[in-house]
Amino acid sequence: MIEFDRVSFSYGNRFVLNDLSFSVHEDERVAILGGSGDGKTTILKLIIGLLRPDSGKILIDGEDITEKTEDELRDIRIKFSMVFQDGALFDSLSVKENVAFPLREYTKMSEEEIDRKVRELLRRVGLEEAIGYMPEELSGGMHRRVAIMRSMAAFQPKMFLYDEATTGLDPVSADVICKLILDISEQGGGFIIVTHKVFDAFKLAERFMFLKSGTIIFDGDKKKMLHSTIPEIQIFLRELNWS
Amino acid sequence: MKKKAKELISDLQDFYLLSYHGLMGVVRRPFYFKDLIEQMDYAGSGSFFIILLISLFIGMALSLQLSAELSRLGMKMYTGKIVGISIIREIGPVLTALVFAGRVGSGIASELGSMVLGHQVDTLRVFGVDPVKKLVTPRILSALIMLPVLTIIGDCVSLFGAYYIAVFVSHQSGTFFWSSIRDILIYENVLAGSIKPFIFGSLIACISCYMGLSTKGGAIGLRRTTTRAVVASFIAIIVADFILTRVLLYVLGFSV
Ligand SMILES: Nc1ncnc2c1ncn2[C@@H]1O[C@H](COP(=O)(O)OP(=O)(O)OP(=O)(O)O)[C@@H](O)[C@H]1O
Ligand SMILES: [Mg+2]
Repeated sequence: MIEFDRVSFSYGNRFVLNDLSFSVHEDERVAILGGSGDGKTTILKLIIGLLRPDSGKILIDGEDITEKTEDELRDIRIKFSMVFQDGALFDSLSVKENVAFPLREYTKMSEEEIDRKVRELLRRVGLEEAIGYMPEELSGGMHRRVAIMRSMAAFQPKMFLYDEATTGLDPVSADVICKLILDISEQGGGFIIVTHKVFDAFKLAERFMFLKSGTIIFDGDKKKMLHSTIPEIQIFLRELNWS
Repeated sequence: MKKKAKELISDLQDFYLLSYHGLMGVVRRPFYFKDLIEQMDYAGSGSFFIILLISLFIGMALSLQLSAELSRLGMKMYTGKIVGISIIREIGPVLTALVFAGRVGSGIASELGSMVLGHQVDTLRVFGVDPVKKLVTPRILSALIMLPVLTIIGDCVSLFGAYYIAVFVSHQSGTFFWSSIRDILIYENVLAGSIKPFIFGSLIACISCYMGLSTKGGAIGLRRTTTRAVVASFIAIIVADFILTRVLLYVLGFSV
């Protein structure tokens, strides 16, 4: 479903991705691992057309999205559900309005239908009583759960993109998020999760890519990764021995 | 050096594009009415009392200075006229705009900046919403409405302060003071004073939105954004004021 063909990207004169090629099928569960600043978020933004590559092609369902206008990209973006780092709820809107936001943009539901749908989504993550809260009143874990529900409120995405969904959470909240991600994916749709937490990645994914200085230095399953001799991967794997 | 110049030109280009699309959003659908009301509320309630306070004191100080100087020359009766012209044509619009930039412009820049850093602007785009129409247009429009209103209020308060000093401290005739103010409220002066807030308002909003949306680099970047928005707005206001004054005096047929 997603195909990167020799993609390079830089912010101004700072190179982030270098000649990157990979493809991901829509029912795969993928984790992209890498250190801070290695361009993980950048990859997700490229997939949904928030950024344009300097060179190379990005194909979504066989369509090249690199030359599309913002309007044409709308049709591409509804194939995905994107949850940004830290959730990115709108500070100025309540939890209800945040979840209702895509419903108002994409559907013609009445106020009652929106209210019912929002409650249903929040109930699913055990947050119905937080419906009137403002984002600043939520804990980190609640914030992510609301954001995940918002990202899939208006349409059924084919694939889910999570940017650091568990980073900065305590192990219990992180586990709740992991279960939610798996639960959503079981009802259809693979995902790409970008993270630097190997422990959570192992719980979630079946395929692992390792990003280093803008290129993929590893691509394979759990077993292959555990036996990898690449020094950076071994440093990451040390986290497992501690937890 | 050459690279810096190139960067500056491309920044300016981005700034013009953003301002153009932001202004064009006024006549193109969709229109976010609720956001406009929110922004007007923020702009108005945020700076109203500061503008009242500062206008009052500037009006009083100006009146005091001129009364002192003019009474030495035996021309105290001109106080009202000179104070009135300075406030309506020059000090009122500039001062209100400076306060507005410091209070509202900085708020716009830091709010948009933290929305960029928190990926909220990206989220808008993912949901198919044009951030320029949703965020920039309401802010420009609210500045275009609120700054002129605040300027008029500020002018009135300044004149009142000037009147107070002239009558109760400098012992001039109150009726004569007001009649000289009425004399200067001719169409040339009022026009010269009321075009300025529209230009200043759009400059402040465009600069602050541009700075906010181009924020990068975490908390330090946010600090830089806010400072830059205020400094750039101040410079733009002062320079634009000079150019506008020059043009308006020429157009309205005053000889310097
Ligand atoms: N808007 C921007 N302008 C300039 N440089 C940027 C911008 N956004 C990101 N970068 C730089 O690009 C590089 C890759 O950024 P990216 O956000 O993709 O990293 P990441 O792997 O997601 O890191 P993290 O784990 O910290 O989220 C970083 O070095 C970052 O400093
Ligand atoms: Mg990131």
